[in-house]
Amino acid sequence: MRPARRPVRWRLVGLLAPATLLLAGLFLVPLGIMATYSFLSPGLYGGVEWEFYPFNYGRVLGAPLGDVEEFDPVYAAILLRSLRLATITAAVCLVVCYPAAFWVSRLPAPRKNLFLFLVTLPFFANLIIRVYAWMLILRPTGFLNTALDTLGLAAFAPDLMFTEAAVIIGLVYVLLPFMFLPLYAAVEKLDPALLQASADLGATPWRTFVRVVLPLTAPGILGGCVIVFIPAFGNFVVPALLGGAKVMLVGNTIEQQFLAARNWPFGAALAMLVLASILVFMLAVALRAGRANPSVRS
Amino acid sequence: MKRTTADRVLSAWGAGFLLILYLPVALIFVYSFNSNVVNMMAWEGFTLDWYRSIFGLPTQLAKSENYVESTATLVAAVRNSVVVALFATVVSTAIGTATALALGRHRFALKPLYQALLVLPMIMPDIVLGIALLIFFVGVGVEPGLSTIVAGHCVFLSSYVFVVVSARLAGMTADLEEASADLGASPWVTFKRVTLPQLLPGIAGGALLAFIISMDDLVITYFIAGVDSTTLPLFIYGVLRRGIKPEINAIAMLLLAFSFVVAATGLWLRSRRQ
Repeated sequence: MRPARRPVRWRLVGLLAPATLLLAGLFLVPLGIMATYSFLSPGLYGGVEWEFYPFNYGRVLGAPLGDVEEFDPVYAAILLRSLRLATITAAVCLVVCYPAAFWVSRLPAPRKNLFLFLVTLPFFANLIIRVYAWMLILRPTGFLNTALDTLGLAAFAPDLMFTEAAVIIGLVYVLLPFMFLPLYAAVEKLDPALLQASADLGATPWRTFVRVVLPLTAPGILGGCVIVFIPAFGNFVVPALLGGAKVMLVGNTIEQQFLAARNWPFGAALAMLVLASILVFMLAVALRAGRANPSVRS
Repeated sequence: MKRTTADRVLSAWGAGFLLILYLPVALIFVYSFNSNVVNMMAWEGFTLDWYRSIFGLPTQLAKSENYVESTATLVAAVRNSVVVALFATVVSTAIGTATALALGRHRFALKPLYQALLVLPMIMPDIVLGIALLIFFVGVGVEPGLSTIVAGHCVFLSSYVFVVVSARLAGMTADLEEASADLGASPWVTFKRVTLPQLLPGIAGGALLAFIISMDDLVITYFIAGVDSTTLPLFIYGVLRRGIKPEINAIAMLLLAFSFVVAATGLWLRSRRQ
């Protein structure tokens, strides 16, 4: 006996209603308003004037839109710097985590679980405190320089605070677990018999790595890069505390437009550009993943 | 198996990896007990005064502008954080669980849309959601405060709860639920007696995760908090923007200890149930 259709559907509607209201009211509508604001002109004291004004985008993108008058290369440079630092962050995370993932996957079971626990734990530590720890280490009178001083190496003491290097270090530290976990999941699935087979057939270790290990762990690499790149690109806490005014990223610029410059439409346009960049990035990754492994459809 | 050079390199790399993860946190721990009031990075001696100071207890420290101005602000920030996290956790756990049940136990045309929509708040940069909510709350004329923070947190916390509960639901077969229905139990009794008890570890895990993420959130809160609704991360951010004070080490250690205890409980619960 199949139950009547109607009551089942009502239950579904009841279960979906809260999430639908929440996502529509506090997610889609706010994003829609933000998108609308990005095409309006700024009000005198924050807020907007309700008139169509397409030049918010022209200010960042410049010539291609034909709004050369409004174009300010500062913002394009900030956007490019954010893309560059996010790319470097993802690359450094990958290089640090890849061997570590292999190491953990080869440990005997009880120790493996302990180390997985240890790797996951910092993920739950408060973000601001993890950034603060690097302020303690990197500032001119911080741990690094004090330690070098004690060792008699004061001449080599770097002034890393408020540099791009400091921002990259902070981003890498904060986002490491995001890279490690997908990589580990991919490495763990790797069948050791395949490596043995490759070696038995006469492949050098390097060839085995490039032709067998790398393609098989590619989904983990791509996944890790995506979920590191996105928060790194829009990050605002790390550059604010470790980069200061010298290393402005797009996140800080958006904050400034909202809380200091009070140009909300321009801030909204920058946020839309962040979203667009991420969308393009994810599409590129999805296409690449599709081409590398045609059997995978996602 | 013989240990090769490659194995040794890997082990060293792994040890280095853990060192990088824990050294910065260990430094805060050590220096939170340093009695040097002039240069906090030069070790002078052991003291608990920084911890006493944040609780407003008498200390050996000379009164100076070096120290956190008011314990009352800190206490208020902690209280705000806990209130927000509790409310946001309860609401988002209910919403996330309901949504997981809807998508995990029903078939409907819009399912892929919901799945995509639920992922978005988690992967979108915090700052974008933060300013979208700011524009929205200002637009509809809601005074920023604890209620706007709770509402904002629910948007992304529900997605996290949904993911955790869905994972648990996917690991359960529908057999027992069908058996219960065949034996004449009403859908509500089946849910209460069969589905819920099995799902509970997932719901508890999702709620713990939501609580930690809510306590941790800085960026979204930053844009939708009012003057009187400073949370603990906002308080620490404000202090750090003005300069580093030794008490921050003590506050950071207490907060870390709290997060680690909650997270360790959650991870332990999960490993025990599996």
